[in-house]
Amino acid sequence: MAAAEATRQVAPRSLANPVRALGRSTLAAVRMVGSVGVFAVRGVAAALTSPWFLGQLWRQFVAIGFFSLPVVGLTAIFTGAALALNIFTGGGRFNAEQVMPQIVALGITRELGPVLAALMLAGRVSAAIAAEIGAMRATEQIDAMRTLSTDPFRYLVGPRLLAGVLMTPLLTAVADTIGVAGGWLVATRVLDFSSAVYIRNTIDFLQSWDIVSGLIKAAVFGFIVALMGCYHGYNAKGGARGVGRATTHAVVSSAILIFGSDYLLTTLFTHAS
Amino acid sequence: MGVVVLALAAGFLTYSLSVGGVHMKRGNYEINAKFGEAGSLAPGAAVSVAGVKVGTVSQITLEPKTFLAVAKLSIDPTVKLPSDSTAKITSDSLLGGAHVSIAPGAAMDDIKPGGQIENTQGAVDIFGLIGSVIRPQGGSDAAASSDAPAPDASQPAASY
Amino acid sequence: MTDVTPKLAWKGVTKRFEGRAVLDGLDLSVAPGRSLVIIGGSGQGKSVTIKTALGLMRPDAGKIELDGKNTVTLSEGARRKLFSRVGVLFQGAALFDSLTVWENVAFRLINADGAPRKEARERAIEALEQVRLSPDVADRFPSELSGGMQKRAGLARAVVAQPEILFFDEPTTGLDPITAAAINELISHQVRRLGSTAVSITHDLASAQTIGDEIAMLHGGKIIWRGPAAELRTTDNPYVRQFVEGRAEGPISHAV
Repeated sequence: MAAAEATRQVAPRSLANPVRALGRSTLAAVRMVGSVGVFAVRGVAAALTSPWFLGQLWRQFVAIGFFSLPVVGLTAIFTGAALALNIFTGGGRFNAEQVMPQIVALGITRELGPVLAALMLAGRVSAAIAAEIGAMRATEQIDAMRTLSTDPFRYLVGPRLLAGVLMTPLLTAVADTIGVAGGWLVATRVLDFSSAVYIRNTIDFLQSWDIVSGLIKAAVFGFIVALMGCYHGYNAKGGARGVGRATTHAVVSSAILIFGSDYLLTTLFTHAS
Repeated sequence: MGVVVLALAAGFLTYSLSVGGVHMKRGNYEINAKFGEAGSLAPGAAVSVAGVKVGTVSQITLEPKTFLAVAKLSIDPTVKLPSDSTAKITSDSLLGGAHVSIAPGAAMDDIKPGGQIENTQGAVDIFGLIGSVIRPQGGSDAAASSDAPAPDASQPAASY
Repeated sequence: MTDVTPKLAWKGVTKRFEGRAVLDGLDLSVAPGRSLVIIGGSGQGKSVTIKTALGLMRPDAGKIELDGKNTVTLSEGARRKLFSRVGVLFQGAALFDSLTVWENVAFRLINADGAPRKEARERAIEALEQVRLSPDVADRFPSELSGGMQKRAGLARAVVAQPEILFFDEPTTGLDPITAAAINELISHQVRRLGSTAVSITHDLASAQTIGDEIAMLHGGKIIWRGPAAELRTTDNPYVRQFVEGRAEGPISHAV
């Protein structure tokens, strides 16, 4: 990641001294965590305090929320359908095929809906944000904005963070619905389930915490996706190549953080319920 | 394209809610039923009459003096139950799906909101039954019924 | 001899990048209402000089004084107020790609000053006329304009709020001689019209002499020559001579 940049200067020497290289990489990583932390605090402060740039906020709602619907919908329906087939097969090993609707619904609302929607957003939204802000950085537009008495954190970062946190749960709710619909399609058309039984089993089984915990995860993931896009774009260095690097870093770091936080949140939520 | 996705999701959701049955909790009235054994019955489980869902189990608590499981049942206001109805904890399959099935009685008056179903039958422990047949050690207090009994939910997990 | 407080002054400003001192104890000042042009070889720190003055970069040592007050330690909020007195034309114009030309020009008015959109648009179109761009450019996007038109739009954006100080970062770089001459003329016209103080950096000598009242040469992180624009070609300073005559050899050796 960016740690590689910090060590680039000393590469020849570091080959001879791996301990020093390890130390430098660790320090660079720690520095990055700190840097991201500071950036996040500034971004959140900009997002939560007035003045707000409502026009920009709306644009981001549409860009992050509405335009991500097709990708999320496609992901959800295929995942739901495939999951239904697999759970059916698994359930068949205990003569418990009829429990498939419940397991599919649980898997989608608690885990697959939020995580897969977030991963698709990491690829789509995080990359786009990093590219846009990175390009602005490379062409001095961010400096220009500051000289025009406008705080780039308020104009660029805040709206994107807010849009990430607010739109991702909505997208996940759509993903949950369409995922269950995918399972329902497979169940009713291929596996000979009765439509009413499938739906009734799903609804009776699901508890509100299943859905809500998934939406909380989605909000966290949405924040991560927007933050990584903004951070790497804002700190892009070195022209077009720097923008490309920023985009890659944004997607990769978003994905890693999504998986990590998913595990932590799942553990937390399992103990809570 | 996004509009299409939203429309599909909304359509499926509306369809599901209409098929899924009673979900409007507003207006439901609550009655009690006390059971000797709740088994794997949990809040949110369905309450049905003749196989049709008429409400949900809203709460299950232990009555300290009698050590009975008290289940609060939230019933659709359009469904009136005769006062001598029987409530039974039964299940869809061996793996769970415990719910309350109410067999209506023949009395003239109905159970009022806040009232209680007097005749109840608790969950049946099928593995206990099998055990007592294999190793007879005196009668179990669960009556065998023609419906699928509700087993102890932890037992299947132990077998694999 | 005027003892007026300089509008803008760099005092002992030092800035290092990766160990190399790009600015090394820079001392420079501009009197109010005067136009200073900073010339120098590529990579000599001209952009850094402007960026430290604007506060986009923080010097490692020294002071930047605006009307006699040090601006290096200002908070971001105080600096934003400072920016309202300043207009900047960046090297690539730095127009915002996602906004139309008039929204770019009126950016400060709408987002920092809270002007209503209609009024802001009128002022923007006036500013565009000042730089000889016709009103039908107003609704186009920056990517649809030529380089010269983008620079003019950038200039309009810089002057629309009638700033006290104007900064120009390589205003004619990358433009053909005719367009460059047009830009030079526009710049000096605007500076005179507003009575602003102006600081420009360029390595275009024709530009320097058109825009500037005074010229200063930056080399080795310091100012090695300063004088009125007319003296640029007549001075004896060997560095200036090499630069003006465009010779590859001389006291200026490049790290190329």
